[in-house]
Amino acid sequence: MAIQRCLVQIVKTYKLRHHLQSNIRQTYCMLCLKYSTAGSSRKYTDRHEWVTIDKDIGTVGVSEYAQESLGDVVFAQLPDPGTDLKAGDECGALESVKAASEIYSPLSGTVTEKNKDVEDKPALINTSCYDKGWLFRLKIIKQSEINDLMTEEEYKKFLKTDAEKPG
Amino acid sequence: MAQAMVKRIVSSSACTFAGLAQKTYIRNVAASSKVAASKKERVLPTEGEITKSVFMSQSTDIYTNLALEDWLYKNMDFTNHHVMMVWRNEPCVVIGRHQNPWLEANVPLLSEKEIALARRNSGGGTVYHDRGNLNITFFTPRERYDRNYNLKLIKRALFRSFGIKSTINERQDLIVRDKYKVSGTAAKLGRLTGYHHCTLLVNANKADLSKALAKREHGIQTKATASTRSEVANLKDLDNRITVENLQTALGYEYLRTPALHLDDGGQSLIAKQRGFQFVNPTDDWFPGLAELKNDLVSWDWCFGRTPMFTVSRSFPVPIGLLAPSKVYSATQELVINMTVEKGLINDVTLSIPPGLIESGFHGEASVITHLKGKRFTSEALNALQDAMLTRHHVSDVKELDDKEQFVAKCFDQVVNTM
Repeated sequence: MAIQRCLVQIVKTYKLRHHLQSNIRQTYCMLCLKYSTAGSSRKYTDRHEWVTIDKDIGTVGVSEYAQESLGDVVFAQLPDPGTDLKAGDECGALESVKAASEIYSPLSGTVTEKNKDVEDKPALINTSCYDKGWLFRLKIIKQSEINDLMTEEEYKKFLKTDAEKPG
Repeated sequence: MAQAMVKRIVSSSACTFAGLAQKTYIRNVAASSKVAASKKERVLPTEGEITKSVFMSQSTDIYTNLALEDWLYKNMDFTNHHVMMVWRNEPCVVIGRHQNPWLEANVPLLSEKEIALARRNSGGGTVYHDRGNLNITFFTPRERYDRNYNLKLIKRALFRSFGIKSTINERQDLIVRDKYKVSGTAAKLGRLTGYHHCTLLVNANKADLSKALAKREHGIQTKATASTRSEVANLKDLDNRITVENLQTALGYEYLRTPALHLDDGGQSLIAKQRGFQFVNPTDDWFPGLAELKNDLVSWDWCFGRTPMFTVSRSFPVPIGLLAPSKVYSATQELVINMTVEKGLINDVTLSIPPGLIESGFHGEASVITHLKGKRFTSEALNALQDAMLTRHHVSDVKELDDKEQFVAKCFDQVVNTM
């Protein structure tokens, strides 16, 4: 009787563990998918900013490459909502290891929102540059400018040639 | 030799600058077309194609020199021509781009001793300058910005000319005798150009330096970039032959004899290939638009108004004489002042008045809060407060604040003057 109960218990635990594991595996897969950069609709500038576009709103941040070369970001100066920007305009700065690096707007438009979490905790740019570390959103006024930006693939190619350059 | 070289270049400097100004316009056109074709890459020259110049600023005004730096950063093309600029200033405190002046400097002392306060465009911490301190700016294309190369070059110059041994620590400070900092570093990186500038203490007034940067009780909380305090030394203490003048000549020659992209000694033959030393007179005639840049740098809105949002919280024990007799022996009677300051302007004020002060007849709270909002975080706010409290007096012949009002005003004075 005791043995039987014990067996049932073991089977139950096994089943539960199996169930949990498969669940975990599933979530992990979903996470992979969520954070994978393959096939994303992100567009890039040659100054390592990225932008994702949802209808007429663009979300801007800096790329993994930029984040790495900056080092620990200690201060983020972001454009205030309402600021009118032209593509290529200086619109803020990121400070890391005693250097202030300018941020340039990838597109023309009006700033609708800045990421207050990044202002409070600039390290988000280092830990999550494509997700929680976004910098600001803007209402795009010239859709045609999107074609001037690089796709994920083009940007990767650009990084490769950039890295191969001497100096 | 040095004298002769400098003189030779002075005579030719006028024509050099005519050429420089012309090139500026070409660069502006090039920059605007660059935006449209953002995928296009810039082709950088090989090391042999790069020439170097040493610019010697003839101004000792901090705002003029920062404007000149900014002008060169914005308008000059450094692709084929790397520049090192040497400059020095009358006594001043220079804070980093994202710093809080009230937290970093002894603001009341600065105005008393006529020490200027300036905010620069680069990152990093606060430094003190005077005539005994040499500033060096290295301009290169963004891709060729190399702080380590610059610091090592300074280190080599100190050893070659004065036999001074120094090390570069992990914070990229130049250190002598194991721990004393002689140089502070900061940088600004833009789309096309990057510059690294640093200070070198030769025989600066160390007493004024530590007084101007003294840390006091201020109750300020902020996300602004903080400075790291270090013990400093003057290079003069290591070798008393050293002066700002002979150091800038030594650094200039070291810069010219070193190839543009790696540390090596090219000797006299390399010096001869460079563009040499050039005296630079930072005026609007030589650099169109310089005056406007300077006006922005001098303004209160830039120096103080660009301070990242901060809160200040201070409490002051109320003197027994001002309390209602029934409350004298109850728990601590403190006046607590909380302020939020955004863009240098007082945004939000809360005042906690202890019961003892209210019962003894102080009613100024509402006027305090409404009259401080939107005022600059300076004595201007205090004057507005005093006027507000005075107008509350119903009898028009009373021209002075009563004891309680004076006490509150004094507390506010200590907050805005961060004493």
